[in-house]
Amino acid sequence: MQRKLISGIVGILIALLIGALIMLFQGYNPLQTYAALFNFSLFGLYPLATTLRNSVPLILTGLSASVAFASGPINLGQPGQLLMGALFATVGGLYLDLPAFLLIPVLILLSMLGGALWSGIAALLRKWFNMDEFITTLMLNMIADFFTYWAISYPFFDRNAYSPMTPQINTKAWLPIWGEFNSNVIVMILAFVVIYFVFNRLTAGYEWRITGQNSLFSRLGGVKIDKNYVTVMLVTGALAGLAGGLVVMAGPHRFLKGLGANYAWDGVMIAVVANNGLIGTLLYGLFFSALQTGSLGMELITAVPKEFIQVIQAITVLVIVAGRGYLDIFLDKTLARRKARERTT
Amino acid sequence: MQVLIEMKDIIKVFPPNVVAVDQVSTDFRKGEIHAIVGENGAGKSTLMKVLYGLEQFNHGDILFQGQPVRFQDPGEAIAHGIGMVHQEILLIPQYTVWENIVLGAEPVNFLGVIDRQQARKLVQQKVDEFQFNLKIDDKVDDISVAAAQKVEILKLLYRNVSVLILDEPTAVLTPQEIPQLFNELRRLRDHGHTILFISHHLEEVLALSDRITVMRKGKKIATVQSSETTKENLAQMMVGRTVLFQSLREKSIPGAETFVVKDLTYIDGTLHKRLEQINFRICEGEIVGIAGVEGNGQFELVNSIMGLNKITQGQIKVTGIDITQAEILDRRRFISFVSQNRGKMGAAVHASILENVMMTHHRLNPHFTKWNGLLLNDNYARQFTHQIEEQFSVVMDRMDNPFRSLSGGNQQKVILGRELLLDTPFVLLDQPTRGLDVGSIEYVHELILKMKEQKRAILLISADLEELFRIADRILVLHRGMIVADLPTEKTDIEQVGYLMLEGKENDAKETN
Repeated sequence: MQRKLISGIVGILIALLIGALIMLFQGYNPLQTYAALFNFSLFGLYPLATTLRNSVPLILTGLSASVAFASGPINLGQPGQLLMGALFATVGGLYLDLPAFLLIPVLILLSMLGGALWSGIAALLRKWFNMDEFITTLMLNMIADFFTYWAISYPFFDRNAYSPMTPQINTKAWLPIWGEFNSNVIVMILAFVVIYFVFNRLTAGYEWRITGQNSLFSRLGGVKIDKNYVTVMLVTGALAGLAGGLVVMAGPHRFLKGLGANYAWDGVMIAVVANNGLIGTLLYGLFFSALQTGSLGMELITAVPKEFIQVIQAITVLVIVAGRGYLDIFLDKTLARRKARERTT
Repeated sequence: MQVLIEMKDIIKVFPPNVVAVDQVSTDFRKGEIHAIVGENGAGKSTLMKVLYGLEQFNHGDILFQGQPVRFQDPGEAIAHGIGMVHQEILLIPQYTVWENIVLGAEPVNFLGVIDRQQARKLVQQKVDEFQFNLKIDDKVDDISVAAAQKVEILKLLYRNVSVLILDEPTAVLTPQEIPQLFNELRRLRDHGHTILFISHHLEEVLALSDRITVMRKGKKIATVQSSETTKENLAQMMVGRTVLFQSLREKSIPGAETFVVKDLTYIDGTLHKRLEQINFRICEGEIVGIAGVEGNGQFELVNSIMGLNKITQGQIKVTGIDITQAEILDRRRFISFVSQNRGKMGAAVHASILENVMMTHHRLNPHFTKWNGLLLNDNYARQFTHQIEEQFSVVMDRMDNPFRSLSGGNQQKVILGRELLLDTPFVLLDQPTRGLDVGSIEYVHELILKMKEQKRAILLISADLEELFRIADRILVLHRGMIVADLPTEKTDIEQVGYLMLEGKENDAKETN
């Protein structure tokens, strides 16, 4: 744990340093740029609240990817599952009329159902035709993309709009905002606590983890890995779907074109950086959200374009992943060398 | 004869802590065929890969023509005239013979374009020089495996290699093709080439080589002149007769029949019959050993018993209950299982010791869970891990450390502890002492005998005959998927079982071809 924390912090610092060098090379002032970046993302109530709000889809899709990867299935369908979750929540919000305390949970469940349905298709394709989820989830992303595009262009199209989008959902389904803070963060934290508990404390979570480490060992130990595979696909689909539902309910309150943005792919990236650890996913999700949130302010104050943040993100991923792999190899080799020395004396 | 290569005190540790080659010293002379023999995992391939620069060694020296060398990659070894032919054929099937041979070292004209005329001429020259029966314009896809192997050898000769390392070259050949290969190798030797030849077929080794180095468990046992040794002699060195374990068998009266395999036949996905009409039974308090050369159906037998294979025919029963079609979890109520491969089947090495100990118990023992099996009972699991630590004298730091941080012997103790505390009537042990040091082996043997006292039925699969003779009550010999003998241990000896393992029949028809 401590080693992970240290290697994470050192990795981020190195990545920021490399970013600074690139800025220097291009004639920008790195100190000023970083000051602007973090002023607009961390320091102050409003920046912090915005960073938190923006982190929700990143962390939820990141958790989806982390839980899937750590349990074995290569679920790369978060983008599609997010969109389906968003669509389900939107449709529910358009046609259901319940008091807020009922409608909000119902839509949250609907969004999870949408995501789980989409990942469930991939699970069934694997079960029936032995198709790899690695490829089917990727393909289903495209189908979800165009299916939701069609849905907001025709059946659920807002006739007053000029571009594809749905009307606004029932105002009772809007997530409450307290001062600067959007309550989507509360839902995300709840989801995190639940999934953390399931993954680390429940018998099922234990089996998922061990299967992800060594599925043959688990199978021989009596774990029903096929059944667990389906469960993991459904749960991770539901998490990504939840991310989509919250995007709609917290933000534009409608499904408009491009709603999914790059959240889900960033989530997958966060899972990779966090080495599929849940707490790591939460922390890196916050960090990446801070970068993205601050980028607008950075562009406002300095001449550095906000796209530069993608460079920083990419460098962070590379530095941390490479550093982690190298550290393990280095430690293994040191052990081997020590053993060889023991033999000679 | 002049010494060409000298290896001194070579140690190779695979990270983090597997000692594959342990202080091996040997020398190879110019113009000899030198065989390296040993059982699977004896370290013979690793030793050669170290020489070839494919693996880096941790300690020791390699002298080539008196000069110390340390090849960083095979390219450097080839530049020094040392080449290796691997077990698998590594050619491009769509290319012709000559294209494959020149690939990577093509003769070019002044424009930097491949000089095809020149290349074909050079290759043809080599083919003629060594009298290889090859057509250089054939596509590799169309030629036989034996011919492809010749292309591999020629590939090295084309690069003017003087030392050829061959890793079990006869494994891919049919019996008719082997003498031809041997003739070619002898011809190469007579041209002054040095041939290092990895094998575990003793007859081939005796027929072909001038000198033989025997390895066992990473150590060199001896280097002998093949004219001064015999097959029996080599076999003894290979399996380790030198360390005479005393027998631990005690007379016991076996009880009721516990484990029965009836008419088991298994045909795999490629329609090969891997197991044929296997029949045996084990009583409570009895240890039955299965001897056999690796790859004669042991793996398939284990998988069939554990439920990883769907068997084609037959029946498996434990204490009278038919488990032939049972799910793995239901089998585990009756079967404790220690696999030969700790990292692949016996444990999740990156998970913690605690998590590895819980496996299977978490479903079968209600103490391990709360809320009707939903929630793990962490306290109980810790207590249980502690019990294993005490009872099986495991040396561990913290139970939350990764499993791989344990030494091999301690890993095996944890696995044995987990499996034996399942408290099942039948115990399946697949090479439980593989890769362990002598002390740990002793301990495991004592443990197995303790289980016998507890009236459990034990099936012990082992490649180590010493081990079987030490503790098994009966020995079954598995040869090509069939049980060819069922011998009470006190009425047989290592030589007889060894012969049965290799030949599949008794030794009475001595050397009648």
